[in-house]
Amino acid sequence: MIVTRSELIRLCRARDLLRETHDARVSIRDAAREAAMSPFHFIRRFHAMFGETPHQVRIQARLDRAKTLLALSDYSVTDVCMEVGFSSLGSFSDLFARRVGAAPSVYRRQVRSIMIVPGMLPAASTPACLTLMAAAFRNFGEADRRAFERS
Amino acid sequence: MRIKLTSIMVDNQDKALKFYTEIFGFVKKTEIPVGEYRWLTVVSPEGPDDLELSLEPNANPAGKTFQEALFTQGVPIAAFEVGDIAKEFKRLKSLGVAFTQDPTPAGPVTIAVCSDTCGNLIQLYQPPKT
Repeated sequence: MIVTRSELIRLCRARDLLRETHDARVSIRDAAREAAMSPFHFIRRFHAMFGETPHQVRIQARLDRAKTLLALSDYSVTDVCMEVGFSSLGSFSDLFARRVGAAPSVYRRQVRSIMIVPGMLPAASTPACLTLMAAAFRNFGEADRRAFERS
Repeated sequence: MRIKLTSIMVDNQDKALKFYTEIFGFVKKTEIPVGEYRWLTVVSPEGPDDLELSLEPNANPAGKTFQEALFTQGVPIAAFEVGDIAKEFKRLKSLGVAFTQDPTPAGPVTIAVCSDTCGNLIQLYQPPKT
């Protein structure tokens, strides 16, 4: 499909709207209206551009905000759940654990244990691009490294 | 000093590996887990086979801001060479790839621009026939 310049801008704007975690009531229909497309065309074009559905982007934004709140705020897990727009603590915790790999309370403990400056996310939580390579090879056994060099 | 490695920021490495191999047709070269991410590279089966493209997570907020600004402006972040752009355009379109520019002559080259679904616009170009 061809996405025009104006459609591209509108899709990006709709994505920003879907990522707004403060107003949990933004529906897919609202986002489609923002993009000036029918919901059907909106979802199709959105997915082709961003590789995710509008719904997935909205969920991811809420989980990202939950991660930040768990790391930096004093909110309880229940407060975090409500703050990012989930109404059921059970479904929030399940989804969080599935996507992040640890339950919210476990994630909070883990991230705080590596926090160096209080109130700031540790640099280790965001790998700096090509330094990943160094980390990968540090983790790598000598035999594996030789195998890689031969490949 | 040689250029053997280049990189592109992606918003999700799983999605990126799928797109860069299944849609663009590159081949996975390295995959080593590092925490919740991976050192992940692909190569082109058309060569050169020792030039790797690293699919880097763009978890750094500064990287994300840069990447999204370019995307919204419609600016490609990387360019890949193709032999026959009309054929490639048709093939990618049939696979559901979104293009922001269909093949357009630009002097001696013909270019097209598509989304890699991982937060980047990619320019494809066909060099002049020699």
